Amino acid sequence: MPTRSPSDALRGSLDLLVLKTLSLQPMHGWGIAQRVQQISDGALEVNQGSLYPALQRLEQAGLVASEWGTTDHNRRARYYSLTAAGRRALGAEVESWRRFAAGLEAVLRTS
Amino acid sequence: MRLFHAARARLRLLFARRAAEARMDEEFRFHLDMEADRLARAEGLAPAEARRRAVVAFGLAERHRDAMRDGRGLAWLGGLSLDLKLGFRMLVKYPGLTIVGGLAMAFAICVGAVVFETVRLFLAPALPLPQGDRIVHLRNWDVEANRKEPRALHDLQVWRQAMRSVTDLGAWQDVTRNLVGRDGEARPLRIAAITASGFRVAATPPLLGRAVVPADERADAPPVVVLGHEVWRLRFAGDSGVVGRTIQLGDAYATVVGVMPSGFAFPVTHDAWMPLRPEAPDAAPRAGPAVTMFGRLAPGATLDDARAELAVLGRRAAREQPATHRHLQPQVMPYAQMFGGAKSAAETGLVVVLTQVFTLMLLVLVCGNVALLLFARAATRESEIVVRSALGASRRRIVLQLFAEALVLGGVAAAAGLGAAHLVLRHWGLGFVKANFADVPFWFDPRLSPATALYAGVLTVLGAAIAGGLPGRKVTRDIGTGLRSGTSGGGARFGGVWTAVIVAQVAVTVAFPGIVMVEAREQQRVRSYDVGFAADEYLAVRLDLEAPPSASPAAHRARFATLVETLRQRVAAEPGVVGVTFADRLPRTNYDDHAVALDEAAPAASSSASRFTKVALVDPSYFGVLGAPILAGRGFRAADAAGDARVVVVDQGFVDRVLQGRNPIGRRVRLGEGGVAPDGPGADSLPWLEIVGLVRDLGMIGAAETTRGIGLYRPAAPGDGFAPQMVIHTQGEPMALVPRVRALAAAVDPTLRVVEPQRLDGVADDLLWMMGMWLRTTLTMTGIALLLSLSGIYAVLTYTVARRTREIGVRVALGAPRRTVVAAIFRRPLTQVGLGIAGGAALIAVGAHVLARTYQFQHWPRGFSLGQVALLVGYAAGMLGVCLLACVVPTRRALRVQPMTAMRVE
Repeated sequence: MPTRSPSDALRGSLDLLVLKTLSLQPMHGWGIAQRVQQISDGALEVNQGSLYPALQRLEQAGLVASEWGTTDHNRRARYYSLTAAGRRALGAEVESWRRFAAGLEAVLRTS
Repeated sequence: MRLFHAARARLRLLFARRAAEARMDEEFRFHLDMEADRLARAEGLAPAEARRRAVVAFGLAERHRDAMRDGRGLAWLGGLSLDLKLGFRMLVKYPGLTIVGGLAMAFAICVGAVVFETVRLFLAPALPLPQGDRIVHLRNWDVEANRKEPRALHDLQVWRQAMRSVTDLGAWQDVTRNLVGRDGEARPLRIAAITASGFRVAATPPLLGRAVVPADERADAPPVVVLGHEVWRLRFAGDSGVVGRTIQLGDAYATVVGVMPSGFAFPVTHDAWMPLRPEAPDAAPRAGPAVTMFGRLAPGATLDDARAELAVLGRRAAREQPATHRHLQPQVMPYAQMFGGAKSAAETGLVVVLTQVFTLMLLVLVCGNVALLLFARAATRESEIVVRSALGASRRRIVLQLFAEALVLGGVAAAAGLGAAHLVLRHWGLGFVKANFADVPFWFDPRLSPATALYAGVLTVLGAAIAGGLPGRKVTRDIGTGLRSGTSGGGARFGGVWTAVIVAQVAVTVAFPGIVMVEAREQQRVRSYDVGFAADEYLAVRLDLEAPPSASPAAHRARFATLVETLRQRVAAEPGVVGVTFADRLPRTNYDDHAVALDEAAPAASSSASRFTKVALVDPSYFGVLGAPILAGRGFRAADAAGDARVVVVDQGFVDRVLQGRNPIGRRVRLGEGGVAPDGPGADSLPWLEIVGLVRDLGMIGAAETTRGIGLYRPAAPGDGFAPQMVIHTQGEPMALVPRVRALAAAVDPTLRVVEPQRLDGVADDLLWMMGMWLRTTLTMTGIALLLSLSGIYAVLTYTVARRTREIGVRVALGAPRRTVVAAIFRRPLTQVGLGIAGGAALIAVGAHVLARTYQFQHWPRGFSLGQVALLVGYAAGMLGVCLLACVVPTRRALRVQPMTAMRVE
């Protein structure tokens, strides 16, 4: 995963969501945004545009790859897909997120 | 894989900036369109409203764009170009550092480039012919005798028919013939008698006419010759009508059928070409003339294919013809490796690495020094660096800046160094090769190749990493301290390594003049050697006669002797010729050493007497023509050359070293010959020779040798008894007589060759040229070492003074006398230079001691003369003075420190 400060949780979770989305199938930017919003049920209120710097960052880190393709409606669009490294990173990230969430859950339960 | 993806994405984004921008715009547009469509569909909004909502949801497009641009790393690129710009400004701002550091780096890069190019030339020579790397040389190697077997006409025929991996198999034979020009002057021409396939292999079309074709090889075909460009230009004035003309080559005639273009000298360094027509084309195995074979790898075939195929043929020949081929091993190799070169890529690599280790050491040493200078400069800019660091510049960023500065300096130095390397290779490279090797093959062309330029680029980056990276790391390591303590005090210091480097350099600078002195003394010795007669009035030419294959050796020698005698009379009759004589060697060339035994019952008691002498065969007129008086006894008489008169003349060196001063006249000696020692078993077969005369030393010693000459002369008939050098005593410039001698020789017999004309005082010219080159190289290295030591001392001192500004100010304020302050500053450089000079003196002493034990210098006077010691002491004192001069500027700066300024620095 790209280096980031631990406090940058929002950005981190956005990366995680993007990777998760792409693990299902290759998709263009707008599709990813739709999917993220559906999954999170609108809980993650971010600008749709901030998805693109994130995608570029992930591509530079070698976690996703991109190429031009055409949509069902015959429009040209940039399709993003997960690389092998991205798949591994997703696994690790999900694991650490689960641990973090479980820890947080335990703290909340005791109080 | 991940690294690959990441690198590709980065590179694409970095370099295709416009494409990245376009991609970004298109992606944004697509996104907004899709979102607006969705909103219009899902919520039934009017298109304009849907668009507005989509834009709002997207957020500020410009902000996302900026985020992406930053992510592309353009900011970093912008920083580097700024660093480079700053580097150029620094070059101009500190001209002293630029000149000293640049010169030193240029020197290292120049040496590296020349060494690399030379190694490349020798180890991986490339043929400047179309697809030259596919041309191969084939030969038989006699594993028993460990030498090549050149009588290969039989195998050539066999291989020609059997081999599939090599096409156009052919061979050539060296032939030297006199070309008699219209002026009657005969000059020897180096001709290749070559199969027509040679021209297919070389794949170079003729400039005029045609090349040799297979039909020319038939025994009954008319004789033809193809001329080289040089011969055509010089001997036929570039006449395009030369094709079809008949020219005289020795005692035969041939029709010129073509002229080859300029620079063409295949197979080695040939002036003209004739068809190869062996007397008996179907030569028996291991019989016939010596030939050299070549061919071209068939399309698709590799050298390994050819090796495998040839190995099979070799085994079959050994089985079927054991008498001749049992010990023969056929070999095939790249053509240019015929005269050496590495056996394998691994060997090439090893030699390249070994030679480059030297270059790298030089580069590290030089760039270490430049690093010292840059460090001193960076230290004076410490406040700038501290401020930048405080403003958020990372350590890497600052190191990168210093690296960029060094890279700019290195780039300028590399340009200068490559220019110098080009000049060195053009002016001295070929001369060096020619002075060391008799034949320089046509592919030997020392010049800067792209590979060398690339290598110089690598050296530059490496040099910049050392010269900029080291000080960068050192300066930035202490930034924290610098921030806490203000702008001065604390911070980096020069460690023991720098001190050691400076001391070592001063030592080398002191020791080098010792080497220069030895070299200069050798050069002076060679130049001023007294050969015993006025060598500048003599012309020497070597005479040679083509041997017809049918003539018996005895008949050939007799004919040669007659022709030589005729030529002697004709030359002697020329106006301006004082005398003509002959010898088998020229004075100051390498004579053969022979063991010598005296006829005394009890041999010389002293073991220091020499048991060897140089022997020369001379015409009886030799001493008379050289004007060398007979000191005792008599000279040779004409009858002595007959062969059975067993008389010799010795020189003064023989009397001093062999006879140890005893009277030579009437004494008898025996000379070792053909492996028989004159005092061992079988010595009785050797004749006793009577010493009849004594002459002064007449250069019976090679120019490079340092021992005392010892010489013995035997009389013989030129041409019959020995291959003669004709020595002509002239009035006026000897070389002016050369054309006349050639014409006379051609008139006597067109097959009589006149080669290597030279003035007798020019015998040692090649040697002197080499010595001069070494002397210049040593002087350059001394100069660079001196410059580096001085600048190093200067840099350290400047740095120290800058560091101690406050301390000096306090001392001056407290009333310390100037002398104390100066002494405090000078202590360190004085110690360094003093240590260096002591080290250098020790080096000289050790060197002189070792030198005196070598054979070459064993006869040099032991130790140094008073004058030389005085010279070296003077030089050391000079060094000290110059080094102290380097301290003057920083010291004056220190003494100008005003106490108030110094205090205010805090």
